[in-house]
Amino acid sequence: MFSKVLVANRGEIAVRVGQTLRAMGIAPVAVYSEPDAGSPHVSMAAQSVALPGATAEETHLNIAAIVRAALDCGAEAIHPGYGFLSENPAFASACRDAGIAFIGPTAESMAALGDKLRAKDIAGRAGVASVPSSPECAPGDAAAAKFAERWGFPLMVKAAAGGGGRGMRLVNRRQDLDGDMELASREAQAAFGDGRVFLERYVAHPRHVEVQVLADGQGHTVHLGERECSIQRRHQKIIEETPSPALTPELRRRMGEAAVAVAREAGYVNAGTVEFLLDARAGEFYFLEMNARLQVEHPITEAVLGLDLVEWQVRIAAGERLTLGQDDVAPRGHAIECRIYAEDPYRDFVPSTGTLLRWRPPSGPGLRLDSGVVEGQEVSIYYDPMLAKLVAWGPTREASLARMEVALSEFLALGVITNIPLLRAVMQHSQFQRGEYDTGFLEWNPAVTRPAASGEARMMAQALAAWASAQSDGAVATQTSGTPAKAGIHRVSPWQSAGARRLP
Amino acid sequence: MTPRQGEMRELYPQPGEAYRYRIAEGEEGLIFGLEGETPAGLESGITLEIESREAGEGLCRTEAGRTYAFAWVWVGAELHLWLDGGLYVFQRVEPATGRGRRGRAAAGEGSGDVLAPMPGAVLEVLVAEGDRVEINQTVMIMESMKMELVITASRSGVVKRVSVEPGQQVERGTRLLELGPEQDE
Repeated sequence: MFSKVLVANRGEIAVRVGQTLRAMGIAPVAVYSEPDAGSPHVSMAAQSVALPGATAEETHLNIAAIVRAALDCGAEAIHPGYGFLSENPAFASACRDAGIAFIGPTAESMAALGDKLRAKDIAGRAGVASVPSSPECAPGDAAAAKFAERWGFPLMVKAAAGGGGRGMRLVNRRQDLDGDMELASREAQAAFGDGRVFLERYVAHPRHVEVQVLADGQGHTVHLGERECSIQRRHQKIIEETPSPALTPELRRRMGEAAVAVAREAGYVNAGTVEFLLDARAGEFYFLEMNARLQVEHPITEAVLGLDLVEWQVRIAAGERLTLGQDDVAPRGHAIECRIYAEDPYRDFVPSTGTLLRWRPPSGPGLRLDSGVVEGQEVSIYYDPMLAKLVAWGPTREASLARMEVALSEFLALGVITNIPLLRAVMQHSQFQRGEYDTGFLEWNPAVTRPAASGEARMMAQALAAWASAQSDGAVATQTSGTPAKAGIHRVSPWQSAGARRLP
Repeated sequence: MTPRQGEMRELYPQPGEAYRYRIAEGEEGLIFGLEGETPAGLESGITLEIESREAGEGLCRTEAGRTYAFAWVWVGAELHLWLDGGLYVFQRVEPATGRGRRGRAAAGEGSGDVLAPMPGAVLEVLVAEGDRVEINQTVMIMESMKMELVITASRSGVVKRVSVEPGQQVERGTRLLELGPEQDE
């Protein structure tokens, strides 16, 4: 087993990986950029290496600098986390060339799966159907015109190298096709250094269900059940749960087997996730892509299976055999994850920045928080706006949803606008509670992306704001521990307008 | 002298009209009165018991007996209030200067200004001064947090001034360009 592992990431995932490493008796090494100098992932590491610069390109996407850092500190392996270089085959190769174990799949299978078009071929060879798509094409190509002719509009433009919702566009009208292909291509070029795009048939509001797999490279591949990830905004997941309320045992078995078949066909080693689009009514599913890394939402799988996926990743990378058989995989209860983002749910989810002046996450039975921030931390524009992930487990779906709803109501975050009220509104929504939703949920239910119209809550807020403002002026004293209990208790009586009620 | 009255305005999530409050001595402590715009449908208002033992944090009880935790911080001139899992932002309206009388959300609204909806970098400027643009026409492309954002014209008109250039970092609310009325208007 390794004694020192460099974690090539930041934020909550770097903290989470570091915690498992420490529990395994392995020293975690952090890398960080200037704006992250005081971050939790740095302070919890056994050792840390500064990467010069502030932008992602200069720091967490800088292969040479990260491999150099690992060599300098004597790390035997690198865990890439998710995002950044986690699915970059050049990074996996660079690690291998430097004699450092890469905790993830081989560069070859990563390259094949990272190319959405090649990944579809792999799925086809494994006997798993994909959503119909065109070959690679450029704006104005005959292949693009032919595909649009065959399937009509709307359709999707996707970047072959795309992922995480980037380089992906919905095209509604023929006249927008060239422009949207151009935009998707440019976005992909900027984000992935690869501007190739293709067209894909648009499946209107499917469910997005993915299956976790683990493979040890010695012939053992198992699946660890599914995660339902259909609550999305801007094609990015915000809420995930397992088990999926949409799967029958039969469908679950078929999807699990399909995921294992794809992983085997890809020669996949380590933890990976096979994503499917599910037409729940027809009981049909289509291969979407395979993510060659740990997923953001992996904690819900850990919660129902009682295992540590990062620990398995490390063991497999160190050459250990997977001792977990398919029959050992027996989920217990239900788990749900909410991603806490620094963004405004009421204004098109625009990212918000600022200082986290107050940050007090909830705790309690069945709760887990994976967080990369602390109170007082600056939320900068340089990186992804995800602050933390809150996971609630319960013996039943109803119980885990109820725990999540209460936990969100107790989540104190001030100084930066977050999406917490939206997450809570989804938990309270009857359709969501019945498990009847798809990727169009936020579109079908615009009310959850508007501020709640509750007059009383708003009036309470106005009254409390006036009270807090007066207190800051010194017009109202703060109660101190020595004063009688009645002091500091104030009645706030708002009235509608002049004449309705007067002050004495 | 400490003020016994003041004026506030809600900025987030629902920008509203300014409202006044006054403080008076009551039998059981201080009484706060609010006046001005309050949410419709509440004729008689509410009575809250507020208890605060720590700076920036407290509990309030409604007449119905429900207790809510709340907390607040000042972010510059803005009061950020957390109540029952929700965030509200208020601004103090200063009586002397009238500062804050126009809410943040009202800036640029109805005028010809196209503002940056989030902090980030300007990638491309697709129009020039003097160009005629249609409502919803793409005028600029920004990048923030790894995403491209298409900036569209808030109304039809003629570009009076382009205030930024490609590569420039902008804050939320920065004016990107100014639209004048259509020439034939």
